[in-house]
Order: sequence, then C-alpha cells, then structure tokens
Amino acid sequence: MTGNPLQRHLNLLDYALAGLWRHRLKNGAVLAVFTFVIFLLASFQLLTGALESSAEQLLVFAPHITLQRLLAGRQVPVPEERINELTAMFGVSTVRPRIWGYYFDHVNGANYTVLGLTAEEIAALPVTTLAAGAWPAAGESGQVVVSQAVRQSLGLGERRSFTLFRPDLSQASFQISGQFSSDTNIVTGDLLLMGLADARHLFAMPAAMVTDIAIEVANPVEIENVAEKITARFPDCRVLTRAQIRKTYQVVFGWRSGFGSVCLLAALASFVILASDKASGLSQEEKREIGILKFIGFQTSDILTLRFWESGVVAGLAFGCGLTLAYLHVAFFDGSLFTPILLGWSVLRPELHLTPGLHLPDLLLIFSCSVLPYLAATIIPAWRSAVIRADTVI
Amino acid sequence: MTIELQEVCKVYNHGLANEVTALRAVSLTIAAGSMVCLRGPSGSGKSTLLAIIGCVFPPTSGRAVIGGQQISRLPDHFLGRCRREMIGFIFQRFNVLPQLTVLENITLPLLPLGIAPKHRLQRAMPLLAKLGLEHRRDFPAGQISGGELQRVAIARALINDPPFLLADEPTAHLDTQRSLEFMQIAG
Ligand SMILES: Nc1ncnc2c1ncn2[C@@H]1O[C@H](COP(=O)(O)OP(=O)(O)OP(=O)(O)O)[C@@H](O)[C@H]1O
Ligand SMILES: [Mg+2]
Repeated sequence: MTGNPLQRHLNLLDYALAGLWRHRLKNGAVLAVFTFVIFLLASFQLLTGALESSAEQLLVFAPHITLQRLLAGRQVPVPEERINELTAMFGVSTVRPRIWGYYFDHVNGANYTVLGLTAEEIAALPVTTLAAGAWPAAGESGQVVVSQAVRQSLGLGERRSFTLFRPDLSQASFQISGQFSSDTNIVTGDLLLMGLADARHLFAMPAAMVTDIAIEVANPVEIENVAEKITARFPDCRVLTRAQIRKTYQVVFGWRSGFGSVCLLAALASFVILASDKASGLSQEEKREIGILKFIGFQTSDILTLRFWESGVVAGLAFGCGLTLAYLHVAFFDGSLFTPILLGWSVLRPELHLTPGLHLPDLLLIFSCSVLPYLAATIIPAWRSAVIRADTVI
Repeated sequence: MTIELQEVCKVYNHGLANEVTALRAVSLTIAAGSMVCLRGPSGSGKSTLLAIIGCVFPPTSGRAVIGGQQISRLPDHFLGRCRREMIGFIFQRFNVLPQLTVLENITLPLLPLGIAPKHRLQRAMPLLAKLGLEHRRDFPAGQISGGELQRVAIARALINDPPFLLADEPTAHLDTQRSLEFMQIAG
C-alpha cells in the first residue's frame, strides 16, 4: 500500500510540474522576470569580483614606494643621481629608476602605455604575467613585451618587429620578445614593456633622467615611515605608496559596487513583494483544487511539499539560467552592461578581458539574496493554501 | 471494521448568529460488510453525517468510532490520515479536477502515498475496465459527460481499496440504467 518517500516526492514534483505547465504563461512571466533579476545580481557580483582581482593586478608593477618630481604641480623628470641618496636612507633596500609614459600611435590611432625598467627589475617580474616568449634580455636593446591587443593594434600579424616614431620623427625599432598573458589584460592590455634605455631612446629623454624612482623597503611594515622620511628629504617630490594606490582603486570600485548593489537589492525586493502578492491571492479554482486534494488524503505537509516544489522549480530554473547568462555576460561580453558603472564611462580600457571566478561564497551570496527571499515570500501563501480544510468541498 | 456513533451532535458556526444544529444526538452502528442507505429530506443533515463518518471533521459532541479509531478528539492531521486509510468518498458534487485526465484524477490519492506511476496504472486499469472508462482514460475530465464523471469519482474512491465506501447521493446525476449499474459496482 505505501511506497517510498522518494517516490512520494517524485509524484508531487510531477504533479507540481504539470501544474506549472498548465499555467505556463503566468509562470513563464514570473520565471523570466526572476531570471533577469538573478542575471543582474550575478553579473554585478561576478563583475565586481573580477574587477577587484584585476585591480589587484594593477599593483603588479607598483613598487612599495614611487617617487615622482613635481614642478608647478606637474610631473617632470627626476635626476637619476637621487638614487644614491635614496639608497643610503635607512630602511630602503633597493632603488631603481623607471620610465613610465604614454605613447600615441598616430598611424593606428591608439594609445599605449610604455614602461621602461632596469634589467634587475625585469628579471624579478612574476613569470605568470607572460603567456609566451621571454622578458627583454639584459644586454639586448629594442626588445619589448606586448599584449595580444597591442599586436593586433600594430597590425603585426605574424611579424615580430615594428617601429615607432620618436619625437624628432626618426624611428625606433623594436623586436617582440614575449607576450603578456590575457589574464592581466586590465593592466597589460595597452602596455609596452621594455628596457630602461629603450624607453629613454623612444621618448628622447635626457640622459640620467627618469620619470619615476621605484623604491623597495626592507621591512614592509616600515613603508609609511620611510615614505615620510623621503617626503621630508625631497620636498619637490610626490611620494606614492602601494597602499595608497590600492586604496584609491578600492574606494572607487567599492563605492560604485555598493551603490549598484543597493539599486539591485531594491529591484529584487520589489520583485519578491510582487511575487508574494501574486501568489497570495488564491483563486477560487485553486482553493477548490486544494480542498479536493486535502479531502482525498493529501496532508498539509503534502500540499506544502507541492508548493515547495513549485517555487523551487521556478527559483532553481531562474537561478541556473540567470547565473549562466551572467557568466556568459561577464566572460564573453566583459560585462558590457555594467562595466560603465563600475569603471566609469571614460576610463574604459580597450580590450578589457575579465575572467569571472565562480567562488562558493559568491554563489551563496547570490543564492541567499535571490532564491531564499523568493522561497520565503512564497511560504506564507503556501501555508495559507495548505491549511485549507477538506470540508470546503462537500 | 465497524462504524459506531453515540449521541453525535454537529453544530455549525457554534455560538454565532448563524448557528445551525445539523445533527442532534445521532446514534448508530454499522457492521462490517453491510450496505446502509441513509434517507431524509434536503437539509436534514445527511451530508453532515457522512462527513463525520468520513473523518472530514469530528462531531461537536458525542462519540464516533470509525474502524476502531475514536475520531472525536483527533486533530486535523490524524483525521486526514484516517480518511486516507479507511475512507473512499463519492461526493454529492463530483469534485473531479477538470484540468486533469481521467486516469490522473483516479490515481490522485496514490500520489502522496509514494506509489510509482507504473503501479498506479496497474491499480487503475481494472477499475477503468470495470467502470467502462477505458476509452476515456486520457481525456481531460472537463470534457466528459456527467455519468462518466460520476464513474471517475467512484473509481477514485475505490482506488485505495478502502474498508468504507461513502457515497453522498451518488446516483443523483445518473439515469436509472446507470444507477442500477452503480449499485452493482458498489455492492
Ligand atoms: N458549512 C456549513 N455551515 C453552516 N451550515 C451548514 C454547513 N453545511 C451544512 N449546513 C447546514 O446544515 C444542515 C444540514 O446540511 P446537510 O448538507 O448535511 O444536509 P443534506 O441532508 O445533505 O441536504 P441535501 O439533501 O440538500 O444535500 C442544513 O441546514 C445546512 O444548511
Ligand atoms: Mg447533502
């Protein structure tokens, strides 16, 4: 006479699905809206996560302390001789000159970031940033590492060498020695990484002058102290610490994503209210159906299970579809709906490629912000329908 | 398996302005295997009495023992279980779900019991054959005649092979021929 509990669930699920299908128009509409809400929520969450980890990558080339010289509030070259004095300062471990600048490629109408580093600094870069080839070799000149995007922009095809115009319109020739991994695109997307001498040659900077001085501190705890000492010693300079740069990015992303989340939560809340409102108005037909079910032996728990399956199927489908769409949106369309909000409209980098990481905490957050409130909102109407008495039908 | 009522009363809307005393001190005993016919004018409380025997609600006062279960003080949940295990009920109004097919309607009571579709069909087939409903098996119940509906309701009441079959004016919608057939099936 009695079957097993699993079969009971299967039977009720089957019945719930048939019911959903019978009212497919109404349920389809709810599903579509719900999917959209989860899509927005998940896109936003994935995008924020991806951008935050990208922002961390922005610090790949940032030393503990960066020293820049200002004149009339604008950045001007720093004499390399200051290195000696900086090296002598207590707590400083290494001091390297670097040239960081921007190159406008008239031919292709593109803007590149040029970073010239000393051979020692290049040797210390993480290998993971490189997808193929090698870093510019120490003794060689004209070697450069670029991204796939820059290769395309230069129209190189399979060729490995190209030339850029110097300020006097003479040409500087380069040889591609390696290619950046696309994972770091947010920082390397428009980057030309080369030796310090090559960068100086390209920009025709005066000898013994650089744009930045990169300072590493022996004990990272001392960074702020050392930075203060440097500021006091070189009053004409701007001293930036890694923490300051990170904070700037975090504040920008954090504020924007906070703002966005509030908007999304508001949208979600109104959806949940709408859903519970829709579900709470039991029609005469539904009341009769439940009355009959109760009469022929369905218990309150059976009706609740039925209702649970109904909302569970809708919520589960919406969750799956919304999440998949959001993943595709972020992975293949780089979150184009939201990147303007998060990055700001004007600073959108070319070829920003994001790799969303699906982490369990993210999923749980999205789940608890969408599916749980929905299920909660349907519990009360479900309960109300489940306690309809059997004698309503005689 | 007997039915025993002692001094059973049922008062609807107790203590309210629209209070109705539907049953007043009814006592009866029905032995196992017997068939009892309840007669009375409209509004005399036949449906109410059947509802109490059918474990739909407990009496307001008095004792009701159905198949060994004293139902007078059982909470709703246990009443439902008694109904499910002991009672097949055919309604005065058919109370068949029009959007489900004939087969789905008949096997509906088996769903919460966790009986697989294959076994549900196995149980339903002989009943469908007995009641001449085989050719209507997959029709939506909303699209069949009143007599067929009544037979669907009968099949549904019998699907669980209950010890008690209660029928509230089961032949009200049937012609004489069908009424006689019903008495045959039920008996
Ligand atoms: N849910 C209810 N609430 C209030 N009064 C009710 C309710 N159900 C029935 N009654 C009243 O109780 C009395 C008995 O009703 P019941 O349905 O048992 O009669 P019946 O003998 O089945 O009548 P009929 O032959 O017309 O079906 C009637 O006066 C009816 O109006
Ligand atoms: Mg009646």
